[in-house]
Formats: sequence, structure tokens, C-alpha cells
Amino acid sequence: MNRKRALIADTFCLTKRRRCAADSVTGDSQADGAADIRSSLKYLVTLFSRKLFNDSLPPVVLKHQLYSLHNDKTAVDKQVNELRENGELLMFQLGFDSEAFALVFAEDYRAKVLQGEAGRGTLGTVEKFLAKLIPSCSDLSFNKEKMLKEFLFTDSEITQLVKSGVLTVRDAGSWWLSIPNSGKFIKYFIKGRKAVLGMVKKSKYGEILKTELEGRRTTSQVKFQMKYHIHDIIGAELVECIQTTSGTLLRHVDGNVN
Amino acid sequence: KEQTRDNDLNHNRDVDRIHGNGINTLDIEVIDGRYMLSGGSDGVIVIYDLENNSKKPQYTCKAICTVGRSSRHVHKFSVETVQWYPHDTGMFVSSSFDKTLKVWDTETLKPAEEFQFDGNVYCHHMCPIARKHSLVAVGTKDPKVQLCDLKSGSRIHILQGHRGEILSVRWSPRYEHILATASTDSRVRVWDVRRASGSLFTLDQHNGDKSKASSEAVNTAHNGRVNGLCFTADGLHLLTTGTDDRMRLWNSATGENTLVNYGKVVNESRKGLKFTVSRGCSPEFVFVPCGSSVAMYGLHSGQLITMLRGHYNNVDCCEFHPDYQELYSGGKDCNVLAWVPVLRQPDIEDDETNSKRGGAQAAINPAFEDAWSSDED
Repeated sequence: MNRKRALIADTFCLTKRRRCAADSVTGDSQADGAADIRSSLKYLVTLFSRKLFNDSLPPVVLKHQLYSLHNDKTAVDKQVNELRENGELLMFQLGFDSEAFALVFAEDYRAKVLQGEAGRGTLGTVEKFLAKLIPSCSDLSFNKEKMLKEFLFTDSEITQLVKSGVLTVRDAGSWWLSIPNSGKFIKYFIKGRKAVLGMVKKSKYGEILKTELEGRRTTSQVKFQMKYHIHDIIGAELVECIQTTSGTLLRHVDGNVN
Repeated sequence: KEQTRDNDLNHNRDVDRIHGNGINTLDIEVIDGRYMLSGGSDGVIVIYDLENNSKKPQYTCKAICTVGRSSRHVHKFSVETVQWYPHDTGMFVSSSFDKTLKVWDTETLKPAEEFQFDGNVYCHHMCPIARKHSLVAVGTKDPKVQLCDLKSGSRIHILQGHRGEILSVRWSPRYEHILATASTDSRVRVWDVRRASGSLFTLDQHNGDKSKASSEAVNTAHNGRVNGLCFTADGLHLLTTGTDDRMRLWNSATGENTLVNYGKVVNESRKGLKFTVSRGCSPEFVFVPCGSSVAMYGLHSGQLITMLRGHYNNVDCCEFHPDYQELYSGGKDCNVLAWVPVLRQPDIEDDETNSKRGGAQAAINPAFEDAWSSDED
């Protein structure tokens, strides 16, 4: 086909796309859809430091980390929702940012929760809750009416669920779905994120090559793997991501002090 | 039909620099697409002729007249919104932080009508397709949206419902009675002005899923102030921007969030944000002022296509010229810049099957390119 004119979207970038060093796991073809996201999730799960929490937490991935791996954010959102509808993936509102959502594979979640509950009196209630939740429910929070009428829990059972960490208080009469023992995770995560952003900011000219940042020695503030944090700051657009001939450059963005 | 587009700062097109202070608003008249209005922080209003009367590709859009500081009727404080009367260029309307809305006669540059308000006027809009009414919707510090009638010169209607300042108002380009309003209370309301009761619906970013956000964020369009509104040319979709650094695309008939994810659209504006959507392109684009550049996104894909850099300071407004697919942007550096597509041969290296044409033409520097004669065969 003798295409005299290129498509608008193609020629809109003023310069030809620079050939960058292959240092990023980019998936350009969206043909596989949900399978593509699933493999990205599995990759991110490997970056999660299980030992840090004595294996009491299921591997947690943040939704915006996927944006650093795939170009099309809308497609990522759609595929994540598909996986949630299928009951494969659970999403949680973490609380420190209204846009930060945590993703956990449903099977991992169930396994860890039951592992944590083993031997406790609340085990039965938690099992009942998980049975209601995992195949069919993709809500992030529950209000009293839903718990009592739809799920048929009693007030004391709800208290047990809050005690076990599966629910946390949202406001009077409603609860967020939560990951038990995730408080430590959130604390380390926020601290680590701040430290990594500080590393970018303090670099000469406020920018650093991604490969160089991955190789840097982590301070005691950074408890997770560097790559985990890097996917986070890129996906949440806390740093500007610039493609150069030497690889991806991360530049500090003014106004991001957290 | 696709057209090769390379939206770059066109070195052939300039706009007269008149404003002494930042430019807050631009409007191009829809009848001929020839005249452009600009309003600045100094209260000055300028009218430009965009047509090329010189025979050369290089020309400057001249300012034909100005309501300058020396005029008796000039606004006392910054002009936030200007708009041509939709049916002819004999009239235009401006609103300002001096709490007035002025209806100007273009010939004499004197106000034919003046409306006084209690608070700063952030925005106003006249319906581009209205035949049955001549209402101007006005958004001010007051949570009540005012509707002024140009025919009778009186304030005839108030829309109640918002709980914060109204930062942006926009009529639908499809149905002349439909109005959208955005407020600092994080809500966007869509109204049918014929109805006596309240708004038709409020845009909900979670599409009714009350479980997704904290209880205060239920039924909000953004997690911050909503300061920008723009309908797509066909009126079927509405774009909103908010200080939560997000831009959202909504189905304007149902109020449903289409969930297109544009990522972080940095938005620090304390007043209304003036952004625009392309018309007549395929696919359509959204142009949003972002710091000192204009960010360009694919409307339905959500992808950031490019950043248009050229201003020396913050960009405050941008306006798309419907006929020529050009973008004009104005900002604090007092410049109005024209972003004009350059019709260009595809580069030789890009297309191997084009080898028979490739030999004849080397890639031409766009600055010397013939930018306005058509290349269509």
C-alpha cells in the first residue's frame, strides 16, 4: 500500500522515536489483553519482598505500577477490572492516597488470611466472609446494610472481621476491605517512596538514569527492592520519564515533596 | 481522511503582541473563523484578523482594534472570559474580576449592556447554537449560576445547587437548553434551563459505585476543585479537569464516566482552566495548558501525544480554529502563539515502499516549508 500520508498519531511526535537501550519491560502489543496484565502482575509480584513481613502478607502490587509497564492506561484499567470481575484479583483502597490502589491475587489473599487466622476463634467468620467475597464481590468497601442484609452477618461477626484485619473502619457504618497486617507495609512503602524520590531529587540536575538508580545502594529507609519503588514512582507520575539514547531518564518533578 | 500533521510552532505565523500583561482568554468567531478576541490580565481586549492578506507564507496576524487602558469603558481588573456573539461579529461579551459582564458593540467598542455582580466573575458562556434563547450563563464567586438574557438585558434565571464558587460554565453544542457547570465543591452539574427544578444530574466519577471512595467523595466529579469544562464538537461527550490533577471524559447524555485514563494532568489553576478539543480531526485531540506548554492527548485513547513547547511562561488558554485545524494559545508571557500543522512528505527512511518518490525529495526544513497551499492530489 503506497501510503502517501502517515496517520496523524504516528507523525505527531516531533522527533522520531529514539532507539533506547533495552532496559524496560515494555509490552507494546495489547493483543493478549488480560493475559498480558496477568504476566506483568506476576512479574511485579516477584519484586515484592516477602521475607520482610515474615511471610504474613500476600504479595501486594500497586495498580499504578502497571502504568510504568504498559503505555495505555485506559486499557490497563479495563483489564484489571476484567480480572476483578473474574474473581482472580482483589483491589484495596490503601488510605494514604485516594488514587493508590493495591492489587492482590485472590488465591494468595485467601491463603495468607487463613494462615494468619489458623487457631483463632474468628476463623469461622473469616472463612464465611472470604467465601462471599472471592468469587463474586468486587467492592472496595461495605456498608452496614450490605453486611447485614446481603451477606447475612451479625454485628458481633462484623466486629470479629474488623479484629482479624480483613475490614477496617471507613466511617460510621461502613468498612474498607483491607489486608491484615498491612500497616507495616504501608509505613515502609511511604518511607521508601520518599527516600527514593529524595535520591532522584538530590542527583545532579535533579535527574538520574533508571539503570543507575536501580544499581544504587539503598539506605536503611528503603526496605523494598529498588525496582519495586521505581515502578511505583514512574507509574504514579511522581517523576518525569524521558527516553534518551542512554536509556530511560527519571527527572524530579517540582511539587512532589512526598 | 487522514492528513499528515506535524503540529509544530509555525515560524511563518505570528500574532501581534499587544497585551502588556498575561492573556487569559481567547475566542475565535465561528462564522468565518477570521477574527479572534483576546482578553488579558490588564483588562485589555484585543481583536485580531487571522486572515493572510499578504501574498507571502510568512505573516503576522494583525490586531485591528483594542479596548485599551485609555478607553473609558475598559474593565478595571483582569478579563477572564471573552466570547464572540455566536451569530455575528457585531457583538462580543466579556467578563472580568471587576465583577461585571459587558456586552460590547464591535463597531464602536462601547458596551451596549453591562451586568453587575456581587463577586468576581470567573466565566461566562453563550450557547453557540441557540435559536430559541439568547441567554448568557455566568459563573461567579456565588454558588448560584446566573442566566442573563441579552434580548431583554435582565437577569432572568438562577440555577441553585452548587455549594461553592462556579469556575466554569459551558453550553452543550448539541442541545441548546443543556448547560454544564463546574464548581469548587468538586461537583459538575448538568442542567436543562427550561426546568424549574434543580439539575438533571451530577457527574459521579465512580459511576454510582459508592464503595470506591471515602464517604465525602461520593457523587463528586473530581477529588478537588473542578475548574475546566469542554464539550466535544458533537456534544456527545464532556471533558472535565480538576485540581486532583485528573481529566475525565463523560458521556454527556447519561453522565457516565467513560473511565478513559489520561494520567496526571497537572492542574494548579486557582481560577478556571481554559482548554479545548480539536474539531474535524480523526481521531480527536484534547489540548490542555500544562505549565508553560500545551499538552496534547488523544481524546478516546487517553495517551499523551506530545507537549507543545514555545511559551516562556505559564499558558493560560488555548483555542482551536475549526477550519484550519490550528491551535492558538495565550499565556503569561503576553504572547499568542499559533500551532499550525505543516503538510510534509513522509521522511524517506520511514517508508520503504515509497522509494520511487523518495529519491526526488529530500526532507525539507519545516521553517521553509510551504505551509498553506494544499498538497492534496
